[in-house]
Amino acid sequence: MITTILEALIFPGMAFTIALGLIFEWLERKTMARMMGRVGPLLAGPAGVLQPLADFLKLLYKEEIVPAFADKTVFKFAPGLFFMAPLVSMLFVPVIGPTAVASFSLDLLFIVFILAFSTFVIAVLSYTSASSFTTVASGRLVLQYVSYEIPLVIAIISPGLLIGSLSVQDIVTAQSSRWNILVMPLSLAVFLVALLAELEKPPFDIPSAKTEIVAGWLTEFSGRSLAFLKLAKEVSLVFGVSLAAALFLGGPLGPVPAIVPAGILYTLYFLIKVFGLALVVFIVRTALARLTIVDATSFFWKILLPLSLAQLFVVLIVRG
Amino acid sequence: MHDTFDKTIQNRREVAAGLPEYSVENIVPFGPIHPALKEPEYFKLVIEGERIVDVIPRIGYVHRGLEKAAEQRLWIQNIYMFERTCGICSFAHSTAYVQSVEGLLLYNLPERAKYIRLIVAELERIHSHLLWVGLLGHWAGFETLFMWVWNDREIVLDIVEAIAGNRVHKSLATIEGVKRDLPEPLVPGFIDRLKYIAERAQYYKGIIDTETTLLVRTKGVGKISGETLQRLCAVGPLVRAAGIPRDVRHDDPYSAYGDVPWDMVTSRGADIHTLMQVRLEEVVVSANMIIYALEHLPPGPVKIRVPPVIPKGENASHVEAPRGELFYFVKSSGGRTPERVKVRTPTLANLPSALEMLKGHTLADVPVVLTGIDPCFGCMDRLSFIDLDHNTKWRWSGEQLRQYGIRHYFPERGK
Repeated sequence: MITTILEALIFPGMAFTIALGLIFEWLERKTMARMMGRVGPLLAGPAGVLQPLADFLKLLYKEEIVPAFADKTVFKFAPGLFFMAPLVSMLFVPVIGPTAVASFSLDLLFIVFILAFSTFVIAVLSYTSASSFTTVASGRLVLQYVSYEIPLVIAIISPGLLIGSLSVQDIVTAQSSRWNILVMPLSLAVFLVALLAELEKPPFDIPSAKTEIVAGWLTEFSGRSLAFLKLAKEVSLVFGVSLAAALFLGGPLGPVPAIVPAGILYTLYFLIKVFGLALVVFIVRTALARLTIVDATSFFWKILLPLSLAQLFVVLIVRG
Repeated sequence: MHDTFDKTIQNRREVAAGLPEYSVENIVPFGPIHPALKEPEYFKLVIEGERIVDVIPRIGYVHRGLEKAAEQRLWIQNIYMFERTCGICSFAHSTAYVQSVEGLLLYNLPERAKYIRLIVAELERIHSHLLWVGLLGHWAGFETLFMWVWNDREIVLDIVEAIAGNRVHKSLATIEGVKRDLPEPLVPGFIDRLKYIAERAQYYKGIIDTETTLLVRTKGVGKISGETLQRLCAVGPLVRAAGIPRDVRHDDPYSAYGDVPWDMVTSRGADIHTLMQVRLEEVVVSANMIIYALEHLPPGPVKIRVPPVIPKGENASHVEAPRGELFYFVKSSGGRTPERVKVRTPTLANLPSALEMLKGHTLADVPVVLTGIDPCFGCMDRLSFIDLDHNTKWRWSGEQLRQYGIRHYFPERGK
């Protein structure tokens, strides 16, 4: 019992996820800076690795302002909800071995629900902020969400269809001989593109386009709420790439010689895969310009949806 | 122009009559302080969902009274003040001013000064165009392009610094000449760096023609026909992108533009994409012009000393600033200070076209399209009055304005 609680709270649970999120933020800023010919974070810690933590702590100290016309209850509590959603989902993803901290037979569906739920929370948050920028942002957010959700869900469900189980843990265990990416490379691609949209990174940073609607749905937030919302976005990234690694790249699985403790190697494999995927996301987000909502919607419906459906048919044929 | 203005007012009132309340939800304020604007300016965007129905501009946030201030300063002092009208095309402003003053004098501008003016003006054009391309990338959400282009722009600024001593406000033009001679030993280095800039401009042209996400954001966006542009009196790269060959450097050569071989860049169908192409192409042309001018620099003095009093008379002059035709009018009563200076900047000429380009597009296109004309609100802001309710417009002299101020604050004294 104690072990489970410690696993859930510290490693590989919440503390580990948050730490990974902060490191990802640093890596993202550093990758972007290098590609753009800049230096990036430099001062806090070696090569600026502590900069995201410093930013987070600084924001905690700042004054928090609640707009006069905002719905106070939602405005205060929803950031916490949004923060917890990916953190809880992370418990269903195996990290230190083929078994996850928490698992039940339909947890993939729960994850899909959590993804929808966190977007719903932002949309409500955005709308209750009651400013014209956030109102436009919430419209864009919902429109973008209904466009990318179907390809995303199809991409998430297709590994489950191949293996015949809707539990992330089972899907990972079944990949010990053959990674799912060999059967469904398109699903991984669709998943990563939809992930860019879910995380609002270019070219899909439409709901938070800073040159058009200030900070999008984040505009009215300050202080603690802003700190946690920003951190929640990073944690969502960790959860997203972890899920991709678990569903398509075998999660923490890999060859384990008898001499080394399996737990360490599994964690290492997991980290390599997760960092690799995150790097792909960062490079893509740096190399592209922002689309308009119209173009993004038509891209998701006309290109991504057919691709994910085609992959679904391939999976059905392979499964026989 | 007056007819257009009347029609615009008429049009606006009809729109307002058709939609009696532009409700608060339908108006997205764009500015005066907004991340996409580097200067304060206010646009009320009337939207339906994401689509823009109408744009109501409100200008005048950075009105600084330069024209009035010029009347109290010496002819030489004004050069440096008008240079500060704009932080980007500062040399164009000082050149236009000194050219209109030179028209009142009877000297011949030294050949070498003509060439140096051309070199610095073209360097400024390169720097302004690169800055614009970078900002467009920034506003289309393409940060990488922004960073790369601005990094290359540093090279141009370094050259400007080596020639003039300053990066932004060159303080180089003076009446009948330029203040400093070109540093001859550095010229080979300049040529190498300019060749590199031309190469980079071609490379960026490749990027804007092939990068899909950028093409989606720019191609067909802010499309406007040549006729509309002519009707709205647009100037500069905007009209050249629509295929109208209009360029002061070509139509009325000043400095050494008559001696240096160059081709005007035009394109078909003005939209943001062709504007980018035209501007990058102009960077290449400008780089080649500068290289030619540096290689054929005539010897001789760079300036003539002139007396501080300018003879009585009035004169107008125009130059092709990076943003388009820049117009200066100078009136002298034979004293040590000008009697009147009038400035017409390209942004004011292009703003009606920008508003026209915005209509029918989505909110996401606003920063990109507004940037399309390369706006410089600091240059543009001035004072005139339009009363929409009574459909009248009028201008006040400084004295009338003063009287109005007195009446407003001390009603008993104004009578």
